[in-house]
Amino acid sequence: MELKALLERKEFVYLDGAMGTMLFDKGLKMGEIPELLNLTKPEWIIDIHRQYIEAGSDIVYANTFGANRYKLSRSGKTVDEVVRAAIKNAKQAAEGANAYVALDVGPIGQLLEPAGTLSFEEAYDIFKEIVIAGEEADLIVFETMTDLYELKAAVLAAKENSDKPIITTMTFERNGRTFTGCSVSAMAYTLEGLGVDAMGINCSLGPKELMPLVEELAKDTSLPIVLKPNAGLPDTITGEYSIDEYEFAELMTELIPLGVKIVGGCCGTSPAFIRELKKAFDVKEYRKPLPSLKSVCCTPANTVFIDQPRVIGERINPTGKKRFKEALLNNDIDYILSQAIEQVHAGADILDVNVGLPGIDEKAMMVRAVMALQEVVDLPLQLDSTVPEVLEAGLRVYNGKPIVNSVNGEEKSLSTVLPLVKKYGAAVVGLCLDEEGIPKTAEKRFEIASRIVSRAEAIGISRRNVFIDCLTLTASAEQEGVMETLNALERVRKELGCQTVLGVSNISFGLPAREIVNSNFLTMALTKGLTLPIINPNIAAMMQSVRSYKLLANFDVGSVDFISHYGSTTPQPSAPAPAEGGNQNDLPYAIANGLKGEGARITRELLKTTDAMEIINGLLIPALDKTGSDFESGRIFLPQLIQSAGVAQSCFEVIKEHLAASGVKSESKGKIVLATVKGDVHDIGKNIVKVLLENYGYDVIDLGKDVDCQLVVDTAIKEDVHLVGLSALMTTTLPSMETTIKLLREQHPDCKVMVGGAVLTPDYAESIGADYYARDAKESCDIAKIVLG
Amino acid sequence: MTLSQTDIDRGLIYMGSRGRDVTDLMPLVTRCAGELGEAAAPLYIYKYFDIEFTGEGIALKGTELTLSGESIRAHLNGCRGCIVLCATLSAGADKLIRTLSAYDMAASFVTDCLASSAIESVCDEAEQEMRERLSDKFLTWRFSPGYGDLPLTLQPPLVSLLDAQKRIGLTVTDSLMLVPSKSVTAIIGVSDKELPRKVRGCTSCNMYDSCKFRKGGDHCGA
Repeated sequence: MELKALLERKEFVYLDGAMGTMLFDKGLKMGEIPELLNLTKPEWIIDIHRQYIEAGSDIVYANTFGANRYKLSRSGKTVDEVVRAAIKNAKQAAEGANAYVALDVGPIGQLLEPAGTLSFEEAYDIFKEIVIAGEEADLIVFETMTDLYELKAAVLAAKENSDKPIITTMTFERNGRTFTGCSVSAMAYTLEGLGVDAMGINCSLGPKELMPLVEELAKDTSLPIVLKPNAGLPDTITGEYSIDEYEFAELMTELIPLGVKIVGGCCGTSPAFIRELKKAFDVKEYRKPLPSLKSVCCTPANTVFIDQPRVIGERINPTGKKRFKEALLNNDIDYILSQAIEQVHAGADILDVNVGLPGIDEKAMMVRAVMALQEVVDLPLQLDSTVPEVLEAGLRVYNGKPIVNSVNGEEKSLSTVLPLVKKYGAAVVGLCLDEEGIPKTAEKRFEIASRIVSRAEAIGISRRNVFIDCLTLTASAEQEGVMETLNALERVRKELGCQTVLGVSNISFGLPAREIVNSNFLTMALTKGLTLPIINPNIAAMMQSVRSYKLLANFDVGSVDFISHYGSTTPQPSAPAPAEGGNQNDLPYAIANGLKGEGARITRELLKTTDAMEIINGLLIPALDKTGSDFESGRIFLPQLIQSAGVAQSCFEVIKEHLAASGVKSESKGKIVLATVKGDVHDIGKNIVKVLLENYGYDVIDLGKDVDCQLVVDTAIKEDVHLVGLSALMTTTLPSMETTIKLLREQHPDCKVMVGGAVLTPDYAESIGADYYARDAKESCDIAKIVLG
Repeated sequence: MTLSQTDIDRGLIYMGSRGRDVTDLMPLVTRCAGELGEAAAPLYIYKYFDIEFTGEGIALKGTELTLSGESIRAHLNGCRGCIVLCATLSAGADKLIRTLSAYDMAASFVTDCLASSAIESVCDEAEQEMRERLSDKFLTWRFSPGYGDLPLTLQPPLVSLLDAQKRIGLTVTDSLMLVPSKSVTAIIGVSDKELPRKVRGCTSCNMYDSCKFRKGGDHCGA
């Protein structure tokens, strides 16, 4: 019988209790690998499973929690051997007892990028190997997970390599977050989207402490809820757990009204706990929760409930933006990040990501952009492309629940995009157009919207995950169409109950004073039921419209948000008084004093009258040289030097934008590849060097951290680079630095190498064959000057 | 957590302030300290083990682990046991430093230094707790892998000995870096009788490997 049938047949399903605790009782030593006992002491394992089955477990977890490639690497045993032996032991114990055997999979033990060094694909592979080795199990359990991203890799590996039911449980702390910051709601919406069969919480706390988390979970998922708590809390010195089996069972029954269905125990529990648990639960009735699930998109740390208008920032899009196109062509991911961060600070809730441009590999760029954005921004993303392969690549590496932009009423679109949305558990924007184009009337657009919704529902995508875009037409060209759009929107909201999306800025194309038209159209649309305006949040008037609407429509209860943004009656602080000899137009002053906004503003002013190169050579470079020599002489210290560099960076960005707009290519003094070497994840030093080098006009190709040795060489060759900078923080990663230099010498001999980083010394740098040792970020600029001029 | 004045003062030393006027920098430092306080979620765990001095090193009884090297032998000289400590500021601190580096490198650097300082205070707090609980015993100071000749290869076994991934979210990379990066593992000797006072110099500082002052034959002044 399948798990699904078991879930339907039984009120409550009983899992087992701790394996580790039982093994320590039998004589397992601390630090030993428990999974190896499947081979060396099968009788111990079978005995423990039997005890649980006799106590009432319907499902026992095979002893495979840490049986992954990484944890077994020094054991001399393969994943296949260990997992197969474990399943065999569990099956033997379960034989004739009407119990099921779960392949039990815990965290890999290494953190995924960007925190750690493991890539999403490697994690997928590690889980895939376990899933295949565990093919004899009845179901797959992923438990004690703290990283939603790792769990997504695990679930995809299970779904794509088996058809067994999947149960997932994550481990939360008292603050309602996992160690990596994942919330209960993000877990619930992401995993239900990915199509697991049951989900819940295990380990870390006792039943009592987990109560508020279960309560939260019951609101966020329609799946059966799993709970496997510890036997209370451990004593910090002795490690003893605080509650006995009777108290455990008693406390667990208090969670029945919240909707728990699949129950067991984790650390510190034993067969006695399961026996008491079953005794207590068998006389109770299952209370199925009836959650009203919301329209949601999320990152692990940030769940955006679309229960009121939420702003989608439109700025990550090259359409009509020369500077953005240039950035895409140059692989300049930092520019994309700067666009994201500006919108975050302006108040966007969600970011649209469109990186489509002829001449670039859109799929690769989408993956890079998604990875880079989720590393630094906590807003959910809306993946925007017309190419299904690009969407799928983005969906795969996205951490959380994203929005797909978009599907439309064309058959081809419906049949390719919707299955992706279903598989990856996303939400989707449905455009009201089809083979015949955009219908003129509200009636026809509503028809297409209805069609999209019913096609989505037919493959199991709920309409709460379909966001309809009734399409804004340009008022100057089709004035009579404006109200058609709004009328269609109103019907979609009222009759279909879907969320509604609208790209607002298009309305004013070709008109003067576009902001006035845009912000008023936005307000009109909001009153008709627009919930997801796609706008430029950096324009104050647009956010003013959104925030006033939210106040007036009683979403912003007590006007808290509105007042926090506009309630200050004191004028914005003016720039601090300039030092002696300086004046407000003084760029060097802004640089020396770390005034970022001022620096950009002054540069913009200067560009009206002064040639860009004159600003760079006459003002910026001398100012940088001054702070550089102040740093060398010890007059200022590192944070001040970096602050000055940051101001100069914002000035350069203004100049770049100016040059791009006027069609001039900005001058480069040469390209430099920077990388923190393989195995090293601490890259702050390299990042400081990058900022300074860019200030001096070098094009920095930043390969990031934990960079494969050969990739450095390949990039240097491909981009014809003659200076490579390598950084390492740890003694343990210096060998990677040496290898990288060796490879460069062999394959790209006319390339100079400078090295730096905490553990390096000039002597060591020489001994591993580097050309230059940079003591600090400033010195790396001096070296670049020598090598590249 | 709230960063103390000590955290900030020590953080400034890590930034390289060394007696310079830091007035202009203080608004940034204060802002970073506030943000770090919100982002960091300090956690620590520790466990006591009886020890045995053997030819190979110092065996932790009831485990598979032996500590090798002369430095740890000297450090634990006269002790009957030791406490293994794992502490971390958690992933939030790393994430904040990473996010800041995308748009404000100076703030990122300042926060990084403050975090290095704050994890020291977390260890101090843990140590204080141990001293209170073992008030009839005498404790050495904290000794970490990487100090003296105590190898970094001890990181993975120490982390797994305390099940630190599961309990506080601490992991080790293949290159033996702790992740989250603002984390510490340490060994503290426990003795029944008073221990001779040993000088706690540069070798026992967490910044030992990366200290610019020490490399220049200098001292940070802490």
